This record gives sequence, structure tokens and C-alpha cells, in this order.
Amino acid sequence: MAARPVVLGEMPSLSKLYVNAAAQAARHRLLGSGNAAVLPEEGHQVRGVTVDVANLTAYQHLLGETASDVLPAGFVHALAFPLAMSVMNRDDFPLPLLGMIHLRNRVEQRVPLVFTQPLDITAHVENLQGHRSGTQVDVVAEVRKSGTGAVCWRGVSTYLAKGVFLPGIDKPAAHPAREEFRAPDPTALWQLGVDTGRAYAAVSGDFNPIHLSVLSAKALGMRRSIAHGMYLASRALADVGPSRGDSFTWEVEFDAPVFLPCRVALDISTEQETSGAWKRSDFVAWNPHSGRRHFKGSVASADVDAGAPGREDQVQATHVSQ
Amino acid sequence: MSSDGQSAPAPAGTPSNAAAAPAPRRAVIVGGNRIPFARAGGAYAKSSNQDMLTAALDGLIARFGLQDERLGEVAAGAVLKHSRDFNLTREAVLGSALSAETPAYDLQQACATGLETLVGLSNKIRLGQIDSAVAGGVDSASDAPVVVSEGLRDVILDLNRARKLPQRLQILSRLRPKDLAPLAPGTAEPRTGLSMGEHQALTTAQWKITREAQDELALNSHRNLAAAYESGFFDDLITPYRGLSRDGNLRADTSADKLASLKPVFGKNLGVGATMTAGNSTPLTDGASTVLLASDEWADARDLPKLAVVVDAEAAAVDFVHGKDGLLMAPVFAVPRLLARHGLTLADFDFIEIHEAFAATVLSTLAAWEDEDFGRTRLGLDGAFGKVDRARLNVNGSSLAAGHPFAATGGRIVASLAKLLHAKGSSEGRPARGLVSVCAAGGLGVVAILESA
Repeated sequence: MAARPVVLGEMPSLSKLYVNAAAQAARHRLLGSGNAAVLPEEGHQVRGVTVDVANLTAYQHLLGETASDVLPAGFVHALAFPLAMSVMNRDDFPLPLLGMIHLRNRVEQRVPLVFTQPLDITAHVENLQGHRSGTQVDVVAEVRKSGTGAVCWRGVSTYLAKGVFLPGIDKPAAHPAREEFRAPDPTALWQLGVDTGRAYAAVSGDFNPIHLSVLSAKALGMRRSIAHGMYLASRALADVGPSRGDSFTWEVEFDAPVFLPCRVALDISTEQETSGAWKRSDFVAWNPHSGRRHFKGSVASADVDAGAPGREDQVQATHVSQ
Repeated sequence: MSSDGQSAPAPAGTPSNAAAAPAPRRAVIVGGNRIPFARAGGAYAKSSNQDMLTAALDGLIARFGLQDERLGEVAAGAVLKHSRDFNLTREAVLGSALSAETPAYDLQQACATGLETLVGLSNKIRLGQIDSAVAGGVDSASDAPVVVSEGLRDVILDLNRARKLPQRLQILSRLRPKDLAPLAPGTAEPRTGLSMGEHQALTTAQWKITREAQDELALNSHRNLAAAYESGFFDDLITPYRGLSRDGNLRADTSADKLASLKPVFGKNLGVGATMTAGNSTPLTDGASTVLLASDEWADARDLPKLAVVVDAEAAAVDFVHGKDGLLMAPVFAVPRLLARHGLTLADFDFIEIHEAFAATVLSTLAAWEDEDFGRTRLGLDGAFGKVDRARLNVNGSSLAAGHPFAATGGRIVASLAKLLHAKGSSEGRPARGLVSVCAAGGLGVVAILESA
């Protein structure tokens, strides 16, 4: 990113961003988007972001994290999320924000952050590229201890604007055949109630209506509400457990959405160094009835290359069907 | 501390390893008493943990003439325990015929609770800290504690802290109708969300345990327990309670055909073959058990019987969370460690008691011990750990027939085994020897060696 980020006075309000996004969507439907196939160079920054400890505790309890003073990697994602959204909400952002599908997420937790530490958060977009069913973009968020230069946490979220094809952005020539998924023996079973989306919204601040209730999801064209992708990924991260240590790379790739309520089967398999030290844990989750895969990913020691399982794969885009 | 009169003190300058340290005095099992186990919702549906523990304790007191006796200590516990029962065992002691000056404490280690109370108390006796003790356990699946939702709990606690009315009203306004629904205790493992039966279903499939083998084990459990009742074996081990004089779950007339007709209940949604039924899994049960422990001197002074000696015990845990081992497989590791410490093999035991959480738990345990590769790679042995002679396994039935009130199972097994060992006396010129193995939630297991006294 070449340009210096625009410094915002405070963390943007997600609800306002959602309303604005809806208005933008309506405008585009009436007037056409007329967007160029270029991403804004400018990023956004908020300095001195502080963490509400009650909110942190509620998050940790909900996700099954130990309620330590260290911010869970998924919590930092939620903290940076409004800023990331604000970049995608800019008038010069070429894709419609509403209805974007979260394809994958990669987080590098380089240095642990504690809740007493004020944070500087930046976000920008990059890597606009064609996808067989639309256009995808990476939203990059970086978190530093306030006033310092080293990035402690870096997250890359890849989103797909389904059905949006921009001039000059070519579709990938061919997409590889979908790999066959065969469910292994589960190591865990999650019972997700209808209120799963509301509960995660309360701790993450992400009140996207597709997660909140059957009615609000239907209003946006979905048959039922779905679980937040980052709720699922963060629970898998928590389930990996304390062996992951303080610094790690955490990746997830989303497949079939998790319609609520439901049961999700999960398998976590761990690889150790010959010394017995933890090296990485791979996780995969699926619907125990249909056998469809919901997501897969890994948490890997920061010392080894994560080797991102299937990162080159084309991800089947089934998240939001509106 | 009394002298044990058995072993010479270690010579001066001996390295302080366990083998060379002076042997502590013995902890002997005088006897035991339990109430018959009832199926949940049955004869003890309205009896609390404290009621049942007191009943079992009073039966023990009556059997051994302990009225008004100040015992060294009583330890017991329950797995499903209400927060008001913070002093469950002490309250049971106060409600019993024992001296009110008998101290007591609660212990909780899931299904290993009962056996662990025995281990801790026998160690205190061996060290000379106490001369007598009662180990016990109780559980009620019927009278289980029901808790309020996190939402309601949060509101109530915040209300307590609030000082002003507007603050209180604001807190109350957070209440939602769903917060008012009570929650019953779940059987799922906290870290995996899988129930114990589902965990065992995975292990069952991994060790390829067949439905037929499970049903056969269940059938033997019922037949052995029924035969033990018929022979009067339990006459001095059980006090009738609430109209029950035999375990309510016992089906003396069950058959292989009846067991084979039951539908699988665990593992149906796990993608593995479902083979575990209500017949080859233990039912939810209510009940309590107690065991009287003493030093030789204490028992002799009161002219009480000495059935067996608590020789040693070992606890183990497995990393089940990501499926490295099955949830209920900890005893598979505990037993080889314990036996190695004493230079023993499975063949050196006259009786082997493996708690039947599920028939498949016992069979998976035996399969792991018989597996060459598992013995080498996981147990660090030259090959398979060994084979259990089925004729010595759970000879008077176990949890599948008797039922399994979680914390009460250890005491049931120990009292029965002590009596068996006493009756056998000696074997091949040595005291008769028995092994107890109990698996527990959380990937835990506790095992112990007993010998005839």
C-alpha cells in the first residue's frame, strides 16, 4: 500500500456502515455502479483503540477461550472489523459491500496483545481478482501496539462479490475439480442453537442481519440465519487449545454455510515435532447429516510455514445466495 | 505413628527411592456397605445424595458396631452435586450414628471419585495420620441439580451488586423469556461436546468391537450378578433401602436374544457403525456405597474382620480432546504403570474388576492390552501388555447389571473384591490378588491393587 492511511477519529460504527451499505446497494440498483476496476489505495487507521474488558470476558466465555488477559486472535479480528468494513464502504470501493461472501481468512498472530494495551489498527484492500463466480478482494488489517511500528497481528480476509464482474478483471481460465470430502471420525460435536448468531453478534459487534434471526435473514433472501464464519473459525481456534502458544498462523477456508440451528461435527488433528513440541493442528468441520464440509483450516506454529492446506483451491462459493 | 511390625527399617545411607524406603503400615479393608442401586426415576427418585449416603453409612455403622465412634476421617463425593451440598459428606456424618466429632471431606473426580477416596484415605492410614476411615460415594441421576440459565444468573448476580433502584430496573430489563428456562446437567464432555456414549462409540469402532461381543459381556454381567445374589454374596454388603433389596437394574432373566433385539443408541450420527445399545451400556442410576478402612491395630482392637489390603494405586489421564486416545481409555495406561512398579503381570491376579461404563469400554481396554503394536508404540513395552483371563473378569457382575451411580461405583467394586479376596485367601502360595480399574470423564482413570489380608 503506497498511500498513507486516512486517520479516523474513532472506530466507525458498524450499524451505520451496514445502513450506508444498504443505501449504496439501492443507489447502484437504480443508477448502476459504474465502478472502475481499481481499488482505493488509501487505507484507514484508528489510533489508541482500547478494549472493554467485560466485552473481552464475554467473548472468551462464548468462544471457549481461557479468560486470560491476552486477546484471542479472533477477538482482534472483531476489533478491527468495523475499520475493515469502512474501507469497503468507501465510495471508490468498486464492489457492493452487502452480500459479500467471506471465502477465507488468514491471521498471523506474531506478538500476543493484552487488553490493557492501546492499539493502532489499520485496514486497506488489495489483490482485486477474478473468481469463477464473481470478483474477490483481500481486506488486510494490521494491529500494532499504539505508537510502535511492529505489526503484532495481521489479518487477511478474502471476500467474494458474487455475480459482480468488473471490466478488465478476467475470470480464472479454469477451475480445478472440487476435491472429494470424506468425513473423518469427529473429535468434537457442536450444538449450535438458533441464538448462536445473536450471541456472537453481541460479543463481536457484527450485527449483520443474515446472522441474527430467521426473519432478518429471510429479508435478505436467505432461507434461515447462518452462523458467522469467524464465530466458527474462532471456536475451532479455541478448540485447538493452549498448545498453540502465543504466536501462530491461523487460517480458515469456508465452504457450505452453517444454517442455524444445527449440529456441526469437527475433527482436529495435531502434528508434533520429533521433540514432541506442537507443530500444527488442522481442523475440518462438516454437517454430520449431509456430510457437507462447512470449513477447514489450520493453526500452525509461527516457526513453521503453515503450508495452507488447499490455499490454491478455488473455493466453492455457496455462502450467500442473494 | 504405630510401628507396622512387618518390615525392618531401611539401613542408614540407603538411597531414598520408594523401593528402599521403610514400608509404611498396612491399610486394610474391614468391609463395605451399600444400598441397592436403583434405576433413575425409580425407588430413589425423591432421595437426595445426602439421604442415600447417610443410609449407606448407617448400614455400615450398624454392621460393624461403629455407633458413636469417632473415626479418623470419612471421605466421599458425588459427581452430580448441588452447590448446597458443599459439605455433603460432613452433613451425612452429622446425620449418621457416628460421633459428631468425626471429620469428613468431599472429593470429586468424576466416576473415579469413589476409588480415589479409598486411595487417599488408605494412604493416610499407611502414613499413620489416621487409624480408621470410611471411603464412599453417592450419585443421584434422578435428583440431579438443575441450574438457571447464564442469562438469569448474570442478572441475579448483577442485581445483588446494584445499589440503586434505577440501576436494578435497568438490570432486570435485560431478562429475556428464554433466560427463565432451567438447565439440567448435560452428559457432554465440556471440551468436545460429545456425550460419553458418543466418545465410547468412536473408541468402539476404532478397536472394532462387535455388537455380539458387547452383548455377551452384558449378558455375563447380569448372569454373574444374579448368581452372586442367589448365593447370598451380597447379604453382608447391602442394606435394603426404600423397598429395594437388589439392584433395580438387574435382569436375571435377560437373554442373548433380548439384548440383540435392542436398537443402537450411541454413535448413530458419527459416521461409525452404531453397536452400543441400552443393554450393553450402563443406565443412569441412583445409589451410594461405603467402605470401612483401618489399620491392623484398630481392626484387631475391635475384633473386626480384615478382608483385604490396599496395596497401591495409580491415576492416569489421556489426551482425548483431539482423539489421540479414547475418552475412557486412561486405565489402559494406568494398569501397566502400576503393575510394572510391582513387577506383576495380568496373570498374577486372581480377580480383575474393570468398571463396565459400557461393555465396549471393557472390551476396548482388553483389546488395547492384547495389541502388539499398541503395547510397543503407546505403552513402551516389548509387545502386547497381556491378556485378561475372562474367567477372572468381573466374576460377580459389574456396572452393566448393577447400574452405575457415578461416585458410588468405586466403593461397590472395592467392597465386593475385598470379600472375594478374603474368601479365596491365598493362591499359589501368595495372598489372593485383585485389580480394580475405573475409567472416568475428562479422560481420567484410577486403578488399584488389593490383596487378601
